[in-house]
Amino acid sequence: MSRKRAAELQERLDNELRRVSLDHCVKCTICETACPVMGVQPLFGGPKYSGPQGERYRDGASVDHSIDWCSSCGTCTVVCPQGVQVAEIISLAKAVKRAEHGGPIRDVLLTQTTLMGKAMTPVAPLANAALGNRPIRKVMEATFGVSADAAMPPAQSQSLHGWLKKRPKPSKAPTRGSVVYFHGCAGAYFEVEAAKCAIEVLEHLGYEVLVPPQGCCGLAAQSNGLFDQATKAILDLARALAAAGKDLPVVSTAGSCVGMLKHEAKHYLGVDDPILDEVGVRSYDISEFLMERHEAGELDFDFRPIEMQLPYHQPCQVRSQGMGAPASDLLRLIPGLKVVDSNATCCGVAGTYALKKEKNAVARAVGQPLFDMIDRTNEGLVACDTETCRWQIAHETKVDTVHPIVLVHRALGLSEG
Amino acid sequence: MRTVVIGAGLAGLTASIRLLEAGVDVTLVSKGPGGLALSQGSIDVLGYRPSRVTRPLEVLGALPGDHPYAVLGTATVRESVSWLGQRLGLVGSPATNLQLPTAAGAIRPTALAWASLAAGDVRDHTTFAVIGVQQVKDFPAALIAGNLDRTVFDGRELRAGFGLVDFEARDGEQDPSPVHFARALDDAATRRRFASAVAAAAGTADVVLVPGIVGLDDPGAWDDFVAALGRPAAEVAMQPPSIPGLRMFQRLLDDARALGLRHVQGSLATGFTHEDGRITGIEVASAGHSKHIRCDAVVHAPGGFESGGLGVDSHGVITERLFGLPLTVDSLAGLTEPEVGAPQPLFEVGVLVDADMRPLGLDGPVHTNLHVAGGILAGAQRAREKSGDGIAVASAWRAAESILGGAR
Amino acid sequence: MVQRLSADVVVIGGGSTGVGVVRDAAMRGYRAVLVERDDLACGTTGRFHGLLHSGGRYVVSDPQSATECAEENAILRRIQPGAIEDTGGFFVTLPGDDPAFADEFLAGAARTGVPAQEIGVAEALRREPRVNPGIQRAVEVHDGSVDGWALVWGAARSAQEYGAQILTYHRVTEIVRDGDHVAAVRCRDVRHGEDVEIACNFVLNCAGPWAGQVSAMAGCEPVAVVAGRGIMIAMNHRIVNTVVNRLVYPTDGDILVPAHTVSIIGTTDVKVNDPDDTRVPAEEVQQMLDAGEHMIPGFRTHRMLRAWAGSRPLIKDPRVSADDTRHMSRGMSIVDHSQHDGLRGLLTIGGGKLTTYRLMAEHIVDAMCEQLGDERPCRTADEAVPEPHARLHKVTDRLKAREESRTDTRALCECELVSEDDFRREIEAHPEASLDDVRRQLRIGMGPCQGGFCSLRAAGVACASGKVDAEKGTKLLTDFIASRWKGVQPILAGDQVRQAALDEWISQGTLDVEHVPASTQGGVR
Repeated sequence: MSRKRAAELQERLDNELRRVSLDHCVKCTICETACPVMGVQPLFGGPKYSGPQGERYRDGASVDHSIDWCSSCGTCTVVCPQGVQVAEIISLAKAVKRAEHGGPIRDVLLTQTTLMGKAMTPVAPLANAALGNRPIRKVMEATFGVSADAAMPPAQSQSLHGWLKKRPKPSKAPTRGSVVYFHGCAGAYFEVEAAKCAIEVLEHLGYEVLVPPQGCCGLAAQSNGLFDQATKAILDLARALAAAGKDLPVVSTAGSCVGMLKHEAKHYLGVDDPILDEVGVRSYDISEFLMERHEAGELDFDFRPIEMQLPYHQPCQVRSQGMGAPASDLLRLIPGLKVVDSNATCCGVAGTYALKKEKNAVARAVGQPLFDMIDRTNEGLVACDTETCRWQIAHETKVDTVHPIVLVHRALGLSEG
Repeated sequence: MRTVVIGAGLAGLTASIRLLEAGVDVTLVSKGPGGLALSQGSIDVLGYRPSRVTRPLEVLGALPGDHPYAVLGTATVRESVSWLGQRLGLVGSPATNLQLPTAAGAIRPTALAWASLAAGDVRDHTTFAVIGVQQVKDFPAALIAGNLDRTVFDGRELRAGFGLVDFEARDGEQDPSPVHFARALDDAATRRRFASAVAAAAGTADVVLVPGIVGLDDPGAWDDFVAALGRPAAEVAMQPPSIPGLRMFQRLLDDARALGLRHVQGSLATGFTHEDGRITGIEVASAGHSKHIRCDAVVHAPGGFESGGLGVDSHGVITERLFGLPLTVDSLAGLTEPEVGAPQPLFEVGVLVDADMRPLGLDGPVHTNLHVAGGILAGAQRAREKSGDGIAVASAWRAAESILGGAR
Repeated sequence: MVQRLSADVVVIGGGSTGVGVVRDAAMRGYRAVLVERDDLACGTTGRFHGLLHSGGRYVVSDPQSATECAEENAILRRIQPGAIEDTGGFFVTLPGDDPAFADEFLAGAARTGVPAQEIGVAEALRREPRVNPGIQRAVEVHDGSVDGWALVWGAARSAQEYGAQILTYHRVTEIVRDGDHVAAVRCRDVRHGEDVEIACNFVLNCAGPWAGQVSAMAGCEPVAVVAGRGIMIAMNHRIVNTVVNRLVYPTDGDILVPAHTVSIIGTTDVKVNDPDDTRVPAEEVQQMLDAGEHMIPGFRTHRMLRAWAGSRPLIKDPRVSADDTRHMSRGMSIVDHSQHDGLRGLLTIGGGKLTTYRLMAEHIVDAMCEQLGDERPCRTADEAVPEPHARLHKVTDRLKAREESRTDTRALCECELVSEDDFRREIEAHPEASLDDVRRQLRIGMGPCQGGFCSLRAAGVACASGKVDAEKGTKLLTDFIASRWKGVQPILAGDQVRQAALDEWISQGTLDVEHVPASTQGGVR
């Protein structure tokens, strides 16, 4: 990328408050105790070094290549007691490095999530066969640097919008007003089941569910330092969601993508646009939304029991939304369900991090404590809010991994027939 | 009954566990993991006043009336600290101080500590082998040994020598974080290799002192290390990140989670709602929108100046960040001394409370259901007199008792 | 017992002037000895804002100084690049300042040969986006930032290569006369408690604001020096990457200099009787913060690291009132004591500024040559000082170096990225050094935590070297904690309060430094 572009990015970097948050660093090193990558990869200098410490030395030039080991999981920002936006500082420095020095074309390919879904849906069995085929994956690794050991999304033969067009109208009339459903790329193409469950749960509870046409949130592009692409994506998305209805709650099953709407686009990308602010404040993770309504006394769930022990993993990018663990709270309302929180920092996938051949081993090592915990506790099912994490968990543990809403759907009696 | 506890340090976790044990719903709101990651893995009650204290409970009653212990009373301190010590399996009691070597070679009084630390008590040993690790930069063995060696404790001349081992906990890493070193020693084979390296360097002293990095997650790591070493040994706590402190944090957090804690991590409490002199809810800065947590009582344990619970702006105005509570002093003028050797009056600034740990305004409690605990309390030079842990535990205990009493 | 040395010339004062003089004298073939009561560059030279003047500051008020600065700026970039960062500089017209002054400024710059070019306000704000968006005009100049310690030590090492002797921690006690001529300088080696007498033909008094005290030691009427105290505040990071000057007639709080990882705002000007009065009064801190806020909106919310004060060494000029030091000439002046006091072989120099230190040295050594009847031309402008990296330094240098060695070497000071190896080399080469001395070489303890984390490490490495025992190691530790606190205490606010509380938590709470035995006599009851 051009020097000019690098200069523009640097300018924004200098300008933004998050960079100035480095002033809050008291060197306490708590971020290092929590960073999952540093724990398994000594080549990464860690969040303190790459973040507030390194930033004092960066006058435009990118000289610290070890920063690339950061997976952008955001844990450092979550644990920093002083309010340093560590992950945000690193993310911007990565983008500057990217602009100055460029990066592999693979990183661009990995961010084309919508395109990938569109391309794969019509040929799902074929695509799944290809992605499950070791020789083909080896060729992909050699050609593009996409790890042969990484989890790949399962393509579905019907997209969400395909299902929405064909399904009969909901039988119950809405009693609680409308919500806008944000499904994310995965919900549209790869994890259609979770999206269907979400829509049916919301409708069952009395909401009218509006599902506007919508694209990618840009998170993958952002974590690969492709800030232009990410900015365009998130603004297009915000506009699409805003067009569905004024002041309506935006409810999502895409655990990390909704974080883009809420805070990441603003604080990592530096997008300063009223449309994003307006949509961001009314965006909810679906469990967060349901728990808030429940705790406000508006919603009661008439859950049927599910007798099982269920490991639940809250992804790093959901934890970083600072809302507690609403999915865990929600699942605990289901009689008979024994929820075991993983309390694990990160599954390692961190969006597209695990897909890169040089990072895959690190990603798997990061996730190992989680996979071990799941091995110990699962009775055939794991719950987790984010798609890429579910693919990674299922890939590494061979245990069925679902969005929490799938269990809610089942507990509401919507899954039979 | 719903409570919100703000802060995940020793005070916040103590309050949470006490409330959860009583069956109360607790939401813990914390910006970071709290101060335990920075502390020593021991529980101080009172170490100096200003001369060395050997039996803390006997002198608490003589502290000035504005000291937190004067408000809390000796019985609460004894009961709460003993409870915590039993819960964690610590060595020692609030009645008698241990005297433990520090990473600068001083002898530090503290009431309770992990067994691995308590094993270094200078009351029990005269000769010390201080074994440093080249890769662990916060444990200066030569300095520690040299200072112990010129110490006369209770009329006894201590003797100490030092050794240095070269030990890469992870291959090729010369500058590891203590956390990663400790985690590497959670692995039994690595730990045994470490033990034999230490044994080879340790000479014949009564006790071997090693940096406080022998395992983090494996609770059996220390005993296994000592068995492999084959002789008495002790850990010495280091500057942050403190592994013994992290062990304590992890244990207390796990306990609280097992009791059903709801934890909102990484979020600053930014505001509150109130009605008729009672706090009705806490606003939390969650991503995108603020989150309102309804509650019937609050334990506010955000820490003092180190965490920003108390702050000073560029004009020298001192404030309590969240509730704007009245402070003992609200202007910095005259509160700092140019001599670093002198206690800094600034660090005594804080909130005054009643016996229920409720912050006091001119006309009594500011809010009837708001309680504070830990570093935010006024009247103590915690770092110098070594009193911060005891104040945190006892005040959190008292705050929880008060809430539970109120609920009855 | 008195140790006896002899020299052609004794230079008193180890600031930039003295070191420049000893280098110059040594290069001209004189046997030269420099004596300094502290470490090098601990007085005025180590207590300024780090500006390498373009000359812009003086184009209107002091044209001669402006020209000298512009010329010396170019020379120093050539002979001591490793001490200099090419930050560039802006003069900006802040809201409320007279935009017409820029015209006077540009005309002055043209007259004095100071390179200056007006640039668009938008361009200036694009390059320094935090500057007050209300600026009305902007002029670009060739300011730089200079590390005073690196500059002085570079020149000192060059002087040593030419045979000069540098005696630090030697306090002059007497200038011995033989009739109407200087005969020797007596001093006290304060670290070893010994007296040293250096027989010499000539003494050059380069003691800056202490020049009056030194001249009195020769029995002369004290040179009238007005010490003008100014405070500086280091901010935690580079708020700007270009030197930003206020485009007005020189005044208080008119400059913000990016220096290494920090930015430094300066300065005030208060007449003091004692040049060792380096207090940082609270009202002057507030004055700097207001000035900063005017230049950079939001300045008060940024983190202050520490503050210090230095004394300007101005020779009293009868043309202006002694109460108003700013309007005295910054130009250097030389006092020939053979004319004033009937003492031959003693010259005193005053005034000047760091940027022109080499030129000052040239002038006074020229004057000495003239008195001695020697024809020895100055060569200091032509020969670069020996430096490991003969290029202008950049703020990214240390991060780049750390990146290359991170897995192999430990970082001792993580804030300023000083390696344990570099520290060990330094302390082994200078086992008598205090940590503050090492700080001036390596920048340990100069970052956000102000030694909170590295003090113990440094003392530990010193002890492990075997050259420092635990008693001395403990003194290194406690002295450094005390000297760091001295700079933090006057500016305690905001994030630095959190840091100070954590540092106290570590040093008192965790390490219990207060109760390490102070000496072999002291014990623990």
